[in-house]
Amino acid sequence: MKKEKTKSHFVGVRLTEEQKKALSKLEKTSDLSKTDILLRGLELLSEYYSLGLDRPPLNVELKKLEEEAMHHFQELKRIKRREESVREMVQELRDIDKIIDEYNGDKSALIQILLKIQAKNHWLPKPALMWVSERLDIPMSQILNVATFYKAFSLDPQGEHLVRVCLGTACHVRGGPKILDAAEQFLGVESGETTSDLKFTLESVNCIGCCALGPVMVVDDEYHGKLDSSKVGEILSNYRMKDMDRSEDKRKALPIRHEMRRGQSG
Amino acid sequence: MKKLQSASDVEKLRKELLRKQDSSKSCISVCSGTGCHAYGCEKVVSAFENELKKQKLEGKVEIKRTGCHGFCEKGPIVVIYPEEICYLQVKIEDIPDIVSQTIKAGKTIDRLLYTDLKTGKKVVHESEIPFYKNQTRLIFGNNRKIESKSIDDYIALGGYNALVKAFSEITPEKVLEEIKKANLRGRGGGGFPAGIKWESVRNAPGEPKYVIVNCDEGDPGAYMDRSLMEGNPHSVIEGLIIGAYAIGSHEGYIYVRQEYPLAVENTELAIKQAEEYGLLGKDILGSGFDFTIKIHRGAGAFVSGESSALMSAIEGKVGEPRPKYIHTSEKGLWDKPTCLNNVETWANVPFIINKGADWFGNMGTDNSKGTKIFSLVGNVNNTGLVEVPMGITLREIIYDIGGGIPNGKKFKAVQTGGPSGGCIPEIQLDLPVDFDELNKVGSMMGSGGMIVMDEDTCMVDIARYFVKFLSEESCGKCTPCREGLRHMLRILDDITAGKATEKDIKLLEEISEVVKEAPLCALGTTAPNPVLSTLKYFRDEYEAHLQGECPAKVCKELIQYRIDPEKCKGCGLCLKKCPTGAISGEKKGVHTIDVEKCIKCGACFEVCNFDAVSKISSKERK
Repeated sequence: MKKEKTKSHFVGVRLTEEQKKALSKLEKTSDLSKTDILLRGLELLSEYYSLGLDRPPLNVELKKLEEEAMHHFQELKRIKRREESVREMVQELRDIDKIIDEYNGDKSALIQILLKIQAKNHWLPKPALMWVSERLDIPMSQILNVATFYKAFSLDPQGEHLVRVCLGTACHVRGGPKILDAAEQFLGVESGETTSDLKFTLESVNCIGCCALGPVMVVDDEYHGKLDSSKVGEILSNYRMKDMDRSEDKRKALPIRHEMRRGQSG
Repeated sequence: MKKLQSASDVEKLRKELLRKQDSSKSCISVCSGTGCHAYGCEKVVSAFENELKKQKLEGKVEIKRTGCHGFCEKGPIVVIYPEEICYLQVKIEDIPDIVSQTIKAGKTIDRLLYTDLKTGKKVVHESEIPFYKNQTRLIFGNNRKIESKSIDDYIALGGYNALVKAFSEITPEKVLEEIKKANLRGRGGGGFPAGIKWESVRNAPGEPKYVIVNCDEGDPGAYMDRSLMEGNPHSVIEGLIIGAYAIGSHEGYIYVRQEYPLAVENTELAIKQAEEYGLLGKDILGSGFDFTIKIHRGAGAFVSGESSALMSAIEGKVGEPRPKYIHTSEKGLWDKPTCLNNVETWANVPFIINKGADWFGNMGTDNSKGTKIFSLVGNVNNTGLVEVPMGITLREIIYDIGGGIPNGKKFKAVQTGGPSGGCIPEIQLDLPVDFDELNKVGSMMGSGGMIVMDEDTCMVDIARYFVKFLSEESCGKCTPCREGLRHMLRILDDITAGKATEKDIKLLEEISEVVKEAPLCALGTTAPNPVLSTLKYFRDEYEAHLQGECPAKVCKELIQYRIDPEKCKGCGLCLKKCPTGAISGEKKGVHTIDVEKCIKCGACFEVCNFDAVSKISSKERK
């Protein structure tokens, strides 16, 4: 839709002078947004429509109106999301500031600071590292040197659940490698990788100090000891089920939004 | 919390704490070490709390979450005091019975007691269980008596008494003298005399001086430092303060792996408590001595446990070792004189100061005094942490304390010293365990991992496992370690795949000799130990692999799974478990494995209830 046309048209409908005045008055005086006005109009029209006054032009107008409403709705959502992500990024950097302040900006606390960032995000995002570099006045190369040297750090996003299979000696002689094989089989990723749905990250570790329970698999903070490979799939699918239950609950808890229903009906 | 101003304040506090304790009051002590935690001891504790409420005993019975008791095999462990009734493998369902029968009526519950493997008799008291009876639990003994988060429990048991003694009765020089006389050797692996290290730090020019606790227990198969740090952090802190006093240091660090979250938590809390009591900070107990401790969480690198690497890590850098033409005792952390000792070494200090060097010298062998904690793990009946006097034989540890090998299997080897150690065969089982004897047979004390292996363990696979571990953990600074280990691994891979020849073994030995000599740090120089010791004692296994056979039937490339048609009942369990659909067969008919599809995961072998699935050598099949 071209710009000049929108002056005399409201979402594709030609407006009379009176209508134009009414519309601008409405926009100025009420705190309704353009989308709200549109949706109101849409509601009125659909009532009109349901009364059996369906002439073809009205139908077309209605369709256009709905499309426009959808378009605005999507655009607003996009802007909101963009705002949110900027806000989130700022918040993230503020959180990092807090962590750095805990250590009084001490350069030697770099590892401790990175550990805290890692614990919070499950990985080290690049903007975070750049910010740490800026605040501590340590070159980025040195920070990456540290971040890639230690095993606790990850430069890629990690899955929601961290699955660690112990391959310490005690677990090794009790069949740890078979547990890892079974976990790799079940998740369809190799050790060190994350599933494409970002649900699980699989890792092997060299001893978590639970040798008496070997072979051991740790999912998040839950220990599963004295395992055999046939139980692995069951344990991991339990986590997946639990997550599904939770997200279903969430969906039920959310009220169905008016705009959404309208948007979908067209 | 009131600050303690002087030595007599500590004594006063202890008397008050002891007066408050009612020895007739029942106390349920629940092991909350990591092992028992994994078994679900937290649920046991809350079940006890609910049950006590239900049976109207609230407040009349105390519940303690203690550190690791050591007998991890049988967790969760519950001990009821004052009778010291020890219940093992306690489940939530058992708790109403324990409260109504044992706490209320004073009766023991047979099914929860330990059953002696040999005599079949029930054992009531914790200290009479053979696993504990044959130990000397000096450092580790207090773990089960105190709540790991309570400084008061530690003080009531006589904690910080050694510190008081050091401050009020003897000079720093005398403390140093006592440690030297006791010949306390570093428990972290090297076995360097702690007293001599302390002295050289004390005499080294430069201020400030630093003291460090090394709790970067990276050795796979060892977890005694973790259990001490989690269960009784104050004993380590007390030792550290005494050491700092003797050395003249005012700043200390505790380096803990972040993989040990509970150890980090309990240590942080312990430091806070000690600060509140005035046992850390300025003018401790009116002695004029200042000392503070910081925690540094290690971010996961095996090589960072090496002294100079650990110090770079504390400085916030990559934890790589550096050349030690100048010792860390002269130029360590921030190029200042630094004394680094292992957790267990520091925990020994209060005992030596309290009871004297002569008493300490009564335990152990000529050159290795005192006790050592080992983590007895792998294929052994009673896995757990054991503390024994130096000089005890491997056989005593594995058979008398460990209860031998499970499932009637035969003993093959015991691996000590972590990845830097070696495998010790059956003929050496009567070897007295101390620093020097273990070195003689090509292994080492290390931090005290003791991994028992039965006949189903392939020694070539074990050697490969350690070399793989070390090649991944090598920081890459020294070429012989970085490249040498990589080549060793490649040869070992070939051997376990049946693709090697006699020439490869020779090359393996040659590379080992170079790697032993050239690198900067002990990660590299000890790396060939697992290979050389298995070559020495189990050469026949290497040779069998050259012929395409894995005697223990472990190496995947050299084995196949087969279902015995005579034994198969056609239950279909293996068919259900097979991840690749390699097994076919009718219900109640004989099943078969399609060799092409089989990935040798062993799932069928594990689930079969009729022993119908067996491993055979690939050669046999052909």
